[in-house]
Amino acid sequence: MKTLIIGEVVEGKLSSGTLEIIAKSQELGLEFEVATVGTEESPNIGSESFKNTYLKCNETQLSLGSVANTLKTMVDEQSISLIMAPSTYVGRDLIAFLSVDFSSSQVSNVINFSIEEGNVITSNSINGGESEYNSKITSDKKFLLIRPKSFEEVQVELSNTNYETIEINSEDPEVFDIFIEEKTGPQLEDSKIVVSAGRGMVDSSNLSLVEDLASKLNAAIGGTRAIVDAGWMPYSQQVGQTGKTVKPDVYIALGISGATQHQVGMKDSKYIIAINKDEEAPIFQISDLGIVADTLSIVPKITENL
Amino acid sequence: MKIAVCAKQIPDPALDITYSEGLVSRPDEQVLDDTDRYGIEVALQLKEKFDAEVTVISMGKMGTEKGIQQALQMGPDKALVLEDDSLSGSNSLMTANVLSELSKKVEADITIFGTESTDGYSGVIPQQVSRMLGLPCISYIKAVDIADTVSLTRQTSTGSEKVQMPSNCVLSVTAGGVEPRYPNFKDIMAAKSKPVEKISLSDIEFSAVQNIEFIDIKDVSTTKQGEKIVDEGEGFQVIIDKLKELKAI
Ligand SMILES: Cc1cc2nc3c(=O)[nH]c(=O)nc-3n(C[C@H](O)[C@H](O)[C@H](O)COP(=O)(O)OP(=O)(O)OC[C@H]3O[C@@H](n4cnc5c(N)ncnc54)[C@H](O)[C@@H]3O)c2cc1C
Repeated sequence: MKTLIIGEVVEGKLSSGTLEIIAKSQELGLEFEVATVGTEESPNIGSESFKNTYLKCNETQLSLGSVANTLKTMVDEQSISLIMAPSTYVGRDLIAFLSVDFSSSQVSNVINFSIEEGNVITSNSINGGESEYNSKITSDKKFLLIRPKSFEEVQVELSNTNYETIEINSEDPEVFDIFIEEKTGPQLEDSKIVVSAGRGMVDSSNLSLVEDLASKLNAAIGGTRAIVDAGWMPYSQQVGQTGKTVKPDVYIALGISGATQHQVGMKDSKYIIAINKDEEAPIFQISDLGIVADTLSIVPKITENL
Repeated sequence: MKIAVCAKQIPDPALDITYSEGLVSRPDEQVLDDTDRYGIEVALQLKEKFDAEVTVISMGKMGTEKGIQQALQMGPDKALVLEDDSLSGSNSLMTANVLSELSKKVEADITIFGTESTDGYSGVIPQQVSRMLGLPCISYIKAVDIADTVSLTRQTSTGSEKVQMPSNCVLSVTAGGVEPRYPNFKDIMAAKSKPVEKISLSDIEFSAVQNIEFIDIKDVSTTKQGEKIVDEGEGFQVIIDKLKELKAI
C-alpha cells in the first residue's frame, strides 16, 4: 500500500513520533516515503533507507494550509492511499486539512494498525485510554493520526543529505513574538525517571520540593493538566491525553489523583510509584508501589536521604 | 462582527462513558462540554470589545437542551442547532461539514471552538471546518490580547507564537488560556428567552460520508495489584530502597 508519512523536525532531526511511524511502516513492509515539515536550515532528516522530502516553511508564517496543498499534490501524483502523521499540533492540522481535500475522515488517537486484505484496520484509544476502538477504513484514502509512543522508534543514521527540499512560500497569516521554551535538564520524552506533580502539591511554591527531588534523581519533571491550567507549569510538561505520553523506567506521581486522562499518558511506565494522602485515589490502582502520605512531608525526606 | 461559537452537549463527564454498537450512549439530559467554555469566553470578550453578535452552534442529540442553555447562560445572543438521527455516529468530517454549514448560516466572520471534545477528542474539527470554509485556522490558542487589534498566542510544540487575528478565520482555544465566566442568576433566567433555532439536514449542503466501519470495542483498562503502604514515618525509606532495587539510583 503506497504510504506517505508526514514527519516533523525537532531540534534539527526527525521527531521521535516520525521515527516511530517509520518503524511500524517498515515492519508492515509498506511502500512508504516521508514528507517532513519544519523551519530549520538543512536538518538531519535524510536516510539511505527511505525517500524524504523536506517541506521548509518560513518561521514567521502560519503556513500549514499551504503545506497541506503541497502534500495534496504529492498524494495525487503518486496515488498514495495511506497518509499518517504523529498526533502533534502540526500533524493534527495537516491531517485535518487533507482529510477535507480528499473527503475521507481521519482516525485520531491511533495506537495500532494493520493491513488486512488491502484494508486498513485501526485501533484507537477512547474513553481516556480505558478502551480500544477497532474499525476499518472503507474509503480509498486513509488518514491516521498516530499517538506518540505507540511504537518503538526505528534506529537509523540521519544526515543532512539524501533529501530534496521544497520551500513553502505563502501569503499565510504572519507570526510574531516566537517564544521557545528553554529546555533544561532531562526531557520528559526520553528520561529514565519522571517525577510528576499534581494538585496534591498544594501550592505552586511547593514545586521546588519536586525540583529538588528530580534533580537528585536526574529525572524529568511532569505535571497534570490541573496544575498546568493553574499556571504552575508550562504546557510542555503536561502528561496525559492532551499532553505528552511518557514511558520511563520509573514514574513517580506526587499528589496526583490518577484521572483516566492522566493515566493514558503514563500508565505504560515500567514501574509506577504514587504518593497520595487519599487511600482511595485511583492512581493506586495502577501503581506498583503506593504510599499513603502527605506529599509535603514525605517528598523532602526522600530528597534528603537519597 | 458576527461570531459562531461551537458548543457540544456531552454525557455528564463525572459518569463513565458507555457505548452501544460503537456509539457513545447519550442520555436525554446532556451537559455543556467544559472544553467549549473557553471558546465561548473568547467569543464573549470579542463581543464586548467589537459589539459582535454571538451565536452558539451545535449538532447532535438535543434532548433537554441543558448544555445549550448552559452555553447561552454565559452570554451568547442565540443558538442555531441541528439534530438528525442519521448523524448519530458521525465521523469527524461529517461533524465538521454540519458545523461549517451552521457557521455559514449565521454568516460568521469568526468561528470559535475548543480544541477537542471531552467525549470524542478527535482534535481536528476546527481545522476541518476552516478548510471547508476556506479560511485560515488559528489553532491551539492559549492567550488572547484584545485591543484595537486582537493578538492571539498559539501553543506550539516548542513554546508559543503570536498571530494577529485575521478578520475572517477559525479559532481553536485550549483549556486554561482564558478564565470562563460563571453565569449569575440573572444570566440563567435571561438565557431561557434567548432564541434557539432548529434546522434539519435538508436545510444545509451536506455531502460528507461515513468511511469508518465499526468492528468492536475492547476494554484495555489495567489495574495492578501493587503494594500499598500507609506511611508511618518510614515511607520515604521504602521508596529509596525500591529505587535502589530498580537500579534507578
Ligand atoms: C478532555 C480532557 C483532557 C484532559 N487531559 C488531561 C491531560 O492530558 N493530563 C492530565 O493530567 N489531566 C487531563 N485532564 C484532566 C483530568 O481529568 C484531571 O482533572 C486531572 O488530571 C487532575 O489533576 P490532579 O491529579 O493534579 O488533581 P486532582 O484530581 O485534584 O487530584 C489531587 C490529588 O492530590 C491529593 N492530595 C491533595 N493534597 C495532598 C497532600 N497534601 N498530600 C498528598 N496528596 C494530596 C488528593 O487526594 C488528590 O488525589 C483532562 C480532562 C479532560 C476533560
